[in-house]
Amino acid sequence: MKKILVADDEMSIRLLYSEELKEEGYDVITASNGKEALEIVSREPLDLVILDIKMPEMSGIEVLRQIKEKYPDLPVLLSSAYSEYKQDFGTWASEEYLVKSSDLEDLKAAVRRHLKN
Amino acid sequence: MPLNRLTFLTNLIDLFTSTVSYEERLANFVYLVARNFNVDQVLFFGLDKNRSRLFLNADSRKSVLRPRLEFALGEGIVGQTAQQRTPLILQMSQLPVQPENQPLLALVPNVQTLACFPVADDNFLYGVLLFISRVSREFLPVEKETILIACRMLAGNIRQALLHEEAKKRIAELAVLYEIAKATGATRELPVLLEQVVSISAKVLNARGASLRIVDEVSQQIHVSSEYGIVPRDVPPVGTLFCEKPLLTGELPSITSELTNSQGEKHYFAGIPLNLKGHLKGMLCLYDKMGANHSFQQFDQENIQLLQTLAGMATSSIENALAFQQIEALAAKNARMVNILTVLHDISAVLMTTIEMDKILTILVRALTFKNAMDYDRAIIFLVDKRRQLLVESRHAYQPSAASTLPLRQALLADLGNPEEATPVGPHPIEVPLRPDQGILAQSVLFRKPFHIMRADQHPQVNQQIREQLSGQEFIAVPLLAKEEATGVIVIDNHFTQRPLDEEDMHFLTMFANQAALAIENSRLVETIEASSKELTLIRERMLESDRLAAMSSMAEGLAHEIRNPLVSIGGFARRISKQVKAGEELKWHELKKYVDVIVDEVGRLEKILRQMFDYTGDSLGYFREHEINGLVEDALTLIHRDLEKYNIQVVKEYADLPPVYCDERQIKLVFYNIFQNAQQAMENGGTLTIRTFPLEKKDGLYAAIAVSDTGGGIAPELVYNIFNPFFTTKEQGTGLGLSIAQRIVSRHYGDIEINNELGKGITFTVTLPIAKYCLLPLKNSTSGTTSLEEV
Ligand SMILES: [Mg+2]
Repeated sequence: MKKILVADDEMSIRLLYSEELKEEGYDVITASNGKEALEIVSREPLDLVILDIKMPEMSGIEVLRQIKEKYPDLPVLLSSAYSEYKQDFGTWASEEYLVKSSDLEDLKAAVRRHLKN
Repeated sequence: MPLNRLTFLTNLIDLFTSTVSYEERLANFVYLVARNFNVDQVLFFGLDKNRSRLFLNADSRKSVLRPRLEFALGEGIVGQTAQQRTPLILQMSQLPVQPENQPLLALVPNVQTLACFPVADDNFLYGVLLFISRVSREFLPVEKETILIACRMLAGNIRQALLHEEAKKRIAELAVLYEIAKATGATRELPVLLEQVVSISAKVLNARGASLRIVDEVSQQIHVSSEYGIVPRDVPPVGTLFCEKPLLTGELPSITSELTNSQGEKHYFAGIPLNLKGHLKGMLCLYDKMGANHSFQQFDQENIQLLQTLAGMATSSIENALAFQQIEALAAKNARMVNILTVLHDISAVLMTTIEMDKILTILVRALTFKNAMDYDRAIIFLVDKRRQLLVESRHAYQPSAASTLPLRQALLADLGNPEEATPVGPHPIEVPLRPDQGILAQSVLFRKPFHIMRADQHPQVNQQIREQLSGQEFIAVPLLAKEEATGVIVIDNHFTQRPLDEEDMHFLTMFANQAALAIENSRLVETIEASSKELTLIRERMLESDRLAAMSSMAEGLAHEIRNPLVSIGGFARRISKQVKAGEELKWHELKKYVDVIVDEVGRLEKILRQMFDYTGDSLGYFREHEINGLVEDALTLIHRDLEKYNIQVVKEYADLPPVYCDERQIKLVFYNIFQNAQQAMENGGTLTIRTFPLEKKDGLYAAIAVSDTGGGIAPELVYNIFNPFFTTKEQGTGLGLSIAQRIVSRHYGDIEINNELGKGITFTVTLPIAKYCLLPLKNSTSGTTSLEEV
């Protein structure tokens, strides 16, 4: 079973994402801040990470940077409520940037896309 | 404290136009400079009369006992600055100490920076200004420029002081001379004296005629000054009887001689030289001593001795009378000079009182035409327009001014705001292109040369328009010279009185023009400074505007984030429920309950945001009444009491008795709730919340002040300016709206919030609200007592 990490400071988003992704047949593990996310990444063998950007203490961008430094092949999807950062995501070296939406079809499609590789 | 050039220069102008003595001005000057440039000590070294040594003349720290300090030209930083006339700055840390500078270093221990500026005008160096700093200090270009302007002003002031001293000395000398001359020569005026000498001599010796000849000091020729009786005409010139030339050296003997004229008639002659201190001053001649029967006789030795005694007595009297006459001439000439110097001094003192170009030009035109000043009939001032390369008529006086009863200084300054005088040039000022072929005025500026034109109508170089204005008369044009550069030209004539102009007019006008140019230059400098400070203000405003735009876009961004997150959750869970229902699966109630709870929570969060936004934008109606502020603060505190306990935060309260404040209770509670919440969030690991209320007297009345301090360590200074921006937050929780809302509410109450951020300690917010009595809000009948903000 593919293992996905969802990192978001909002409890409701973590809950929503993990319920939906579990239904798709993934193993989902969550983190409520950047530090916790990095801990899990270094501990667990993961297949994909979904990262929120605005989180306290350590932003998603910093988490992304550290992940890519150590695990350049681990796919990371950025998922943020900010739409205006989208145009910058290329420089952030994530696989994709998704603006949060209540319709999770785009997110799930992206997950499928990047898990195939 | 950064240097405020305008204030500093205005202070200097105040100082230099004050009535205190020159020494006191100098002392105040160094003190002012030291204070404004924030250095430990400022010294002024003046150049001595021989222009070879510099002596310490003024010290910004008067009380400090100091050794006598002097430097030769070229010696040490002081001497070198004086020699090179350029500023020198020494950083002690970078250079080995020169032994010549040792006396300076001994003066102040641990000197780090020495900076030395020349005090000079275009012609002379008067001294140097030395800055001593115990901390290493750089001088910005703007500081250097300001110091040089100050030095230049000081130079101008020293020059005036010297000029004034000179004028005073000369008046004193003349007064003494005048008195001596009056005492010795009081009895006779020279012509009367000479007449008496001749007639007495002739009568005493019974001679038919006598003459007295005096050596003219200027032409060095002897000429007849006085005659008595009959002097034979056709005899050889008397001078030839002594010797040909030179007449003026050595003491000459008396002679007697027999002369024969063309008709063969014999005449007798005695010549007695008037000798004074080895110089021939003149000659007394007697002719034809008459005998008993009208026959002519030769003068005998006794006669000669008598004449010599008389001549001896006369000589010193004549000499005195001569000296008196010369002194009178000299005094008349000097009186004009002293008068002009005094006038020039007055004018320059008056010019120092303003930096407004219009006023300066008015003063200049008045000074040129007033009866008790330069007293010319008409005057025009042209200024150079650099951009258009033109000389433009800027001010004129085409009518002789009425004699003023006021003293000159007051007359020059009277009614300066008079609009008629301020714009007297008319719609078509004379303009002259700045090219050498454009006549005298352009040449005067281009070649920096004065011109004295005798007949304007006949002079080929006189510009046509000027010729019309001057109607073919004599005039003088002098350039306004400041720093090698001509900034304009002054033209004067005596159209009505036809009083001729001379070399002295040229001389004084040149001196006048130098002062005028200095005043104009200062005015332009200040204008430039003012313009650039205006520009700075504009830039600052634009920056503030872009700050506001940035704040708005960050608000929109923050709003999107705050709303999108709950919407995603609500929508997401609603979809999940919908999917489960649609699929007709057996409903998992515990899951549904979980989802619905999230939806309810998130909707609550959205409502809270909207509520805050609602308050923030001020659409709600306010309920204004008089309230005890301490009570409102206390109420707000109970709202957050639980959180404070949870995070182990102690509360310290110091409430003063305060008169009621006119406010909307609900909004003011929200202000303090937000501030307390901010403090609590800054002290998640515990701390102390201090609340202090006290009365505060401001310019416009009495205020209630509420100071709220936390011990949360403060925030980075660069973030302080953002603290009231909507959605700005350094915290994990919170929308960042709280303080922004608080500020908006307080300002709607005509109050203020101030922040005092002490990094490492904490932040103090001080809210001030006007006491009801002084409140700008309308106080309505307090029983019906409500009013909406929109009516305010
Ligand atoms: Mg977030």
